[in-house]
Amino acid sequence: MKRVSLFVVLVVVLSTLLTACGGGTTSSDKIRIALILPSTIDDMAWSQSMYEGILAIQEELGMDKVDFEYSESLGNPVDAGAAIREYADKGFNIIIAHGSQYQSVLDEVAPDYPEVSFAYGTGYQSHDNIFAYDPQAQEGAYLHGMMAGLMTQSNIVGIVGPVEAGDAIKYNYGFQQGVEAVNPDVDVRIAYTGSFGDIPKAAELAKAHMDAGADFLTGTAQQVVGAITAVKERDGVYWLSNDMDQSPLAPDAVLSAQTYDWVKVLKQIIEYRENGTMGGEHLSLSLANGEIKMVYNPNVEGNVPQDVKDAVEEAKQQIIKGELEVALPD
Amino acid sequence: MDQREFANRRIQHMEMCDITKQFPGVLANNQVCIDVRAGEVLALLGENGAGKSTLMKILYGLYRPDAGEIRINDQTVPLHSPNDAIAQGIGMVHQHFMLVPTLTVVENIVLGLPSSKGIFLDLDVAAKRITELSQKYGLQVDPWAYVWQLSVGEQQRVEILKVLYRGADLLILDEPTAVLTPQEVDELIPTLEEMTRMGHSIIFITHKLREVMAISNKVTVLRNGQVIDTLATADTNQEALARMMVGRELLKEYDKAQVTLGETVLEVKSLCAKDDKGLPALKKVTFEVRAGEILGVAGVSGNGQRELADVIAGLQQATSGQVIIAGKDVTNKLPAYVIDAGMGYIPEDRLHTGTIPSFSISENVILKDNARPPIARGPFLDFEEIARYSKRLVQEFAVKTPTLETQVGNLSGGNIQKLILAREISREPAFLLAAQPTRGLDVGAMEYVHQRLLEQRAAGKGILLVSEELDEIFKLADRIAVIYEGQIMDILSIDQADREHLGLLMAGVTQAAD
Amino acid sequence: MIDQLLQTHIIIGVLATGVRLSTPFLLAALGEMFTQRSGVFNLGVEGIMLMGAFSGFWVTLVTGTPMLGILAAIIVGALMGLLMAFVSVTMQAKQGISGIGLYMLGWGLAGFLFRITVGYVTSVEGFRPIAIPILSDIPILGTVLFNHNWMVYFSLLLVPISWVVLFKTTWGLKVRAVGVTPEAADTLGVSVRGIRYACVVIGSIMAGLAGAFLTLGHTNMYGDNLTAGRGFIAVALVYFGRWNPWGILAGSLFFSIVDALQLWVQVLGLDIPYEFAVMAPYVLTVVALAAVSGRIWEPAALGKPFDREA
Ligand SMILES: Nc1ncnc2c1ncn2[C@@H]1O[C@H](COP(=O)(O)OP(=O)(O)OP(=O)(O)O)[C@@H](O)[C@H]1O
Ligand SMILES: [Mg+2]
Repeated sequence: MKRVSLFVVLVVVLSTLLTACGGGTTSSDKIRIALILPSTIDDMAWSQSMYEGILAIQEELGMDKVDFEYSESLGNPVDAGAAIREYADKGFNIIIAHGSQYQSVLDEVAPDYPEVSFAYGTGYQSHDNIFAYDPQAQEGAYLHGMMAGLMTQSNIVGIVGPVEAGDAIKYNYGFQQGVEAVNPDVDVRIAYTGSFGDIPKAAELAKAHMDAGADFLTGTAQQVVGAITAVKERDGVYWLSNDMDQSPLAPDAVLSAQTYDWVKVLKQIIEYRENGTMGGEHLSLSLANGEIKMVYNPNVEGNVPQDVKDAVEEAKQQIIKGELEVALPD
Repeated sequence: MDQREFANRRIQHMEMCDITKQFPGVLANNQVCIDVRAGEVLALLGENGAGKSTLMKILYGLYRPDAGEIRINDQTVPLHSPNDAIAQGIGMVHQHFMLVPTLTVVENIVLGLPSSKGIFLDLDVAAKRITELSQKYGLQVDPWAYVWQLSVGEQQRVEILKVLYRGADLLILDEPTAVLTPQEVDELIPTLEEMTRMGHSIIFITHKLREVMAISNKVTVLRNGQVIDTLATADTNQEALARMMVGRELLKEYDKAQVTLGETVLEVKSLCAKDDKGLPALKKVTFEVRAGEILGVAGVSGNGQRELADVIAGLQQATSGQVIIAGKDVTNKLPAYVIDAGMGYIPEDRLHTGTIPSFSISENVILKDNARPPIARGPFLDFEEIARYSKRLVQEFAVKTPTLETQVGNLSGGNIQKLILAREISREPAFLLAAQPTRGLDVGAMEYVHQRLLEQRAAGKGILLVSEELDEIFKLADRIAVIYEGQIMDILSIDQADREHLGLLMAGVTQAAD
Repeated sequence: MIDQLLQTHIIIGVLATGVRLSTPFLLAALGEMFTQRSGVFNLGVEGIMLMGAFSGFWVTLVTGTPMLGILAAIIVGALMGLLMAFVSVTMQAKQGISGIGLYMLGWGLAGFLFRITVGYVTSVEGFRPIAIPILSDIPILGTVLFNHNWMVYFSLLLVPISWVVLFKTTWGLKVRAVGVTPEAADTLGVSVRGIRYACVVIGSIMAGLAGAFLTLGHTNMYGDNLTAGRGFIAVALVYFGRWNPWGILAGSLFFSIVDALQLWVQVLGLDIPYEFAVMAPYVLTVVALAAVSGRIWEPAALGKPFDREA
């Protein structure tokens, strides 16, 4: 049996080697950022958007000023906890656990490392050295809902959701309100795959939506890349992106995207630390503070009628001014 | 014609020279030499564990000898695998069945052979040839039956057919008659004679000296892995061979103690059951066994004995009727319940029903008592006690094994049987069911087992002895129940019974009133 | 509400989706059936599928020819099968553990290779549906069965082919014998190792194809952990199907059609909690398995290494 255990150990070592990437030098006067991701840096969604945000910070402040490491595919909070402690022990001073599921892990780990700032999101409960960042995803979702409601031919729009929880509920709720506001006749169909990463299932769900008549689709989580690829293969169906501009995946099908300006959020955190605040702040990303951006895909922007654009723009301004508040589920 | 066939045999002379084979803790073969010529039957004789099967597995390419060589027609041949052996014209019927239970008879027989239809199986063609062969040699078996549905005797026929089908020149038969009825043995003898006339060589292993005398041209006797002697069958007799084998004289007659009969320990009432094919196998079987007696069940194999034993042991469901052991109704109860009620069981298929081959001797010994003191203390096993207990049994019953940790599957056939017997008897059950208890045992061991059973009888246990050996039944039983096609034809007391009458009953003939 | 589901075009949609969803299960499970029939338990199917999915995708991305991607998946599957066979048959390692090892290896390696070769989400031109002339015009059945890409047809064809190979050829007979009583096969000169190597490699090739189906015949893309547990479900379906190709077909179709149905139930907004919907295929498959009575013929030597003198 010795031979067996040897093989297993080899495999385990090999696979951890393969998954644990990143790297950098150690020096004390640097900002050292560590990132814990539920999926991968190239998921074309939530994880990738934050990863690119940190790369941009590194670029801006100088590679010699910012040290950056990350761990991927830590969907399971227990594994994530181990990685978080490891980074803290290695002397990282900002540790970002990029997902609402990490809240309780951070609550547990953070008190042991008072000199480290932790951050997680989506969330709003912050502590001594924990920042909570909180994209108001329902705002962009509302605007997407308006586009879909105004442009749909079939009066059917579909949502490809992961599991009915936190971020997804927030987005879907905003989207429904947007549709309802402009076109009460539209049937908004919400369906879930039961997973965040089941790409084939998301693709199949998108196909089912389209077969059932939907001509506008949207959704959240990393699995939607499968849905977007499925949408790309049909004519006359649009996808509305969240987290990131996903138009490179389907240049003619992704109509618009709600994106987050993580650079600004990160800068805020760095600034707080410089002023001696290690955490305890609730950092909201919104259209008003410019940390949520809406971008049309230039390829297909021409297909959006001007009156639709105007209506959306008007609603956007109202949200920014606070005249229109997109409700959240309770 | 025969002359030509004879001369065309690929194996005219086979010699095994100075074969030595060491297993961990056992020197199974020690410079063994045997030889056999075309048209000859060599009988290999020896106690359980003497090394007969090992020697034959070497000849068949299954084991590599540590030293020695094998020559065919004066040429040294390398036999590294069964394929080499088969290619040389050697075929083997193994002591333990080498059959795939989930396959049909014809599938088992053609396994590994090329087909007349290329990559596709030619089962119909093969089945026809099998039917021809089985008619020619009197080895009746349904080619389309699944092996798991067959009785032990039928399975043995399939084994022999497998070798015949491959047209082997040299046949190794490792205890082929151990599972055959005397009638079947009588039918096999002409088959073997026919084969030798055609120039086949046969190596024949058996513990039955009668068969040695009837079938073989010469005998090699092994003891403890060494050749004691090789002699022409015509120059010896049964007593001399027995002495040579076990190294002492054997008893001619057994002393049966006078025992007063006690309570009824087994009561079987109108018992009905079906066989694997769903056909009625037991038809309203009724009898009882009382403390202090041995009831022998005589009959030709396949007449419901297996089902009777299985139903009593709780291994098979009865369709109606009742089984009562020591006053407790155990009909269709789980085996554990039946054991608790006070039954000991020596099963027919000792390697699989009786033991777990991959478990050690100690583990097999405590199989039925692993949850009871003194073997268990609470949920834990007391390993010291287990070791003490196993050691005692192995010594008392003369089980030949290198260590207590040896896997039971590696014991010689006879020693597995002794081990089961040791376990069952020392559990002191009120009632003992012994199905073919001496099948495959050497004459010394057989005598030993018989003595033990008589001891149990004297100690006031009730014993149901299922056996196809009329000799055995006559030696041990107080009463004889004859079973035919699932029915009890008659129950006779031993002094009423004569062989001729029994033979008729076993063939289903009830004597017409004269 | 239910009548919404009973409309013809929806029934057709559900069944056609189910057939398409069943393909990866069918391919992987039929392969694993051969592996297990020979007595080897390969739990690494998921890892092989991931490697097949990745290699098929990457080669297609580079060459633009999905058929070359299929070839790559076959080669990669065969190599991983050889590794599994070496560890479990030659080295006689515990098969459950080596299977898990193989899974982790495939998972890690596929992710790593994707990162260094591609590194971003993109799609390829995969296989397009081929409507079978005449047959695809049959009402209902035409759309359900005869309007898919070739891999779907191929997987369905493999069912009778596997059955014939297993039950009607000399080689299949050896496989069935080796998985139940290897000693018996051995004494008849059948190479137990040879058969087991062959079966493990065949099973792994089919797992590789199952993975490649996901990238080239279904999603047209690759992403981290794309198979999402389908390999493990395939192993379970082998049990469901009682090591028989028709049983495996029934299990794969049942699971997939229930899965398709629950997607449609959600899509149509029927008032069923989504948690029940997504669990339905798993729960109902277990229930169906329990309901199908009969003797289970698990290959008796499954998971047991063979050593003549032991
Ligand atoms: N594979 C094995 N590993 C270890 N020991 C073995 C193995 N096979 C046989 N033995 C031992 O070698 C000895 C000879 O066994 P063998 O089976 O050849 O006896 P046998 O003469 O055929 O006896 P029987 O009449 O009971 O069948 C026995 O002591 C047995 O325990
Ligand atoms: Mg023997």
